[in-house]
Amino acid sequence: MPKRGSLLAYGLTRLILAFPMLLILLTVVFTVLRIIPGDPIYALYGGRAPLSVIMALRHQLGLDKPYWQQYLTYIVQIFSGNFGVSLGAHYGGQSVIAVIEQKLPATIELSIGSMIVASTIGISVGLISGINRDKVVDVVGRLYGTTIFVIPVFWLGLMLQLLFAVDLRWLPVNSRFDISSSPPATTTGLYTIDSLLAGRLDLFIIAIRHLVLPCLTLGLVLSGFFAKTVRANLLRTINADYVEAARARGIKERTIISRYAFKNALIPVITVLGLEFAILFAGAVLTETTFNWDGMGRLLIDSIEVQDYPLIQGTIIVFSFIIVLISILVDILSGVIDPRVRY
Amino acid sequence: MLPMLEKRRTLAGVMSWIGLGILVVFTLIAVLAPVLAPYPAQGPYAQFLTPPNQAPSFNHWMGTDNLGQDVFSRVLWGAQTSLEVMAIGVILALAVGFPVGLYSGYVGGSIDKAILLVMDSVYAFPGLLLAALVAAMLGKGPFNIGIAITVIYIPLYYRVTRNQTLSVREETYVEAARSLGARPWTIMWVYIAYNVLITIPVIFALSAADAILTAAGLSYLGLGIQLPTPDWGLDLSVAQQFLTDGVWWTSFFPGLMIITLTVGLSFLGEGLNDLINPLLKKGRA
Repeated sequence: MPKRGSLLAYGLTRLILAFPMLLILLTVVFTVLRIIPGDPIYALYGGRAPLSVIMALRHQLGLDKPYWQQYLTYIVQIFSGNFGVSLGAHYGGQSVIAVIEQKLPATIELSIGSMIVASTIGISVGLISGINRDKVVDVVGRLYGTTIFVIPVFWLGLMLQLLFAVDLRWLPVNSRFDISSSPPATTTGLYTIDSLLAGRLDLFIIAIRHLVLPCLTLGLVLSGFFAKTVRANLLRTINADYVEAARARGIKERTIISRYAFKNALIPVITVLGLEFAILFAGAVLTETTFNWDGMGRLLIDSIEVQDYPLIQGTIIVFSFIIVLISILVDILSGVIDPRVRY
Repeated sequence: MLPMLEKRRTLAGVMSWIGLGILVVFTLIAVLAPVLAPYPAQGPYAQFLTPPNQAPSFNHWMGTDNLGQDVFSRVLWGAQTSLEVMAIGVILALAVGFPVGLYSGYVGGSIDKAILLVMDSVYAFPGLLLAALVAAMLGKGPFNIGIAITVIYIPLYYRVTRNQTLSVREETYVEAARSLGARPWTIMWVYIAYNVLITIPVIFALSAADAILTAAGLSYLGLGIQLPTPDWGLDLSVAQQFLTDGVWWTSFFPGLMIITLTVGLSFLGEGLNDLINPLLKKGRA
């Protein structure tokens, strides 16, 4: 079979396998939201609205039906793209999809920026650590990897705010944009891209200045995981037979590291990237709170606080979709890079 | 396990000892908080006697917070809350994950595959978000938060137990027990469980570290512990409002406690991992 065909087949298989995963995640969300005691309607109006209003709302949302019926409606609605309408105080009446569309770009911008910071720092530390195995640099690098990973992201964020925004006044304290100027016209919702599209370099700089601290915060915490993975894999490849063979042929150590060992050590990093996104989203919720960043994480916590049930559901589902999508992409990507994975 | 630590003066050994030391110190702080803390953690006494938001001084080593409460005392008392939530979360996760993993790995086949798929899917989801959801449903308080974070770690304990069971199951002595007519229950709990248990301390320490972080995160988000209970994450979220006034001590010290404890637990976990993992041992020799 030609190489192309088998890759396509692999991608398709992976896509089909992702379906049960998505279904399970949706089921878990359903279970948590409905079977655990606690009623969104009661939480919203408890004691304040007459019973008839509560019953009517319960009926409108289908909460008076048996669980299996609710579950079926829920699954069917999600797969037909109907996420419902927000109930809560903040976005009451707006469609869940519309609210998420407003909030998603902020989180995407934060995530991409953080990933850039995390991979640059993490891979460098891991590489330096791995090459200098068991030397002082390595011990420092390993300690960095272990320590940075367990620093609460919100604490790091507060400390960076204190240093760079409150004391030194180099960067803005929080939020996505200066209050004094208005953000660029919305095309993608990403302020950096939108300001470039509008040809406004000044707005681009404002957007970047607001991005630096949140991305640095989240990126630093995530970099520990990268550092550890790169180091561990480099140690494995550095002693592999094909590297040993290259060494025996008299190839310079520098070339061996960059051409033979490093490249192969990076393959598992792609797999790690998939896992990192789950951690990234958890970190994003906290970072968005610290930096008053108006994204999906804040949306989720705000809707949890007011028990805005369709919005909670919608946000969680979007997160699940993205995670499943990334896990597929990661698998396909590693299939492209390393043909062994496909078999 | 301890004599094993004593013999190896490697980085892993040193890390394990430091980690264990930190854990012991924090446990002592939690137990002895009533004796150690110079002021009560909360209440009108602390509130009315001292001015709010004071910088660290001789009387208040870590300053006072916005209510005039002594930060040092709250930080010490906070160890109780953190360790309590962590212990509930991790022990419950072990209590569920271990038996299910043992069963799943032992019976194999389609039951195993189904459980694995469910656990893996849950594991792929951001733990904090899932815990936030459960916490919001259950309500605040240490016990509920403990249960909420359990959801994250059950798949972890399951995975480790199951994988170890898969390899132990094929050992000769298990084969022997089976051919002698031992019942599956006996084989699982007498012959396999003990040999799977060796992998647990590593996971226990690492998940404990993560549990501390997650619990602090939930409190920070306002879904965890309720005021006026002293809790590091909660105190940080309150302190955040006063950060722009240059009040750093109310956020710096609770964070430092979280970091020290989680670093200790990670050191313990990673150190133990290097000591227990036989592959790594061989590599070093």
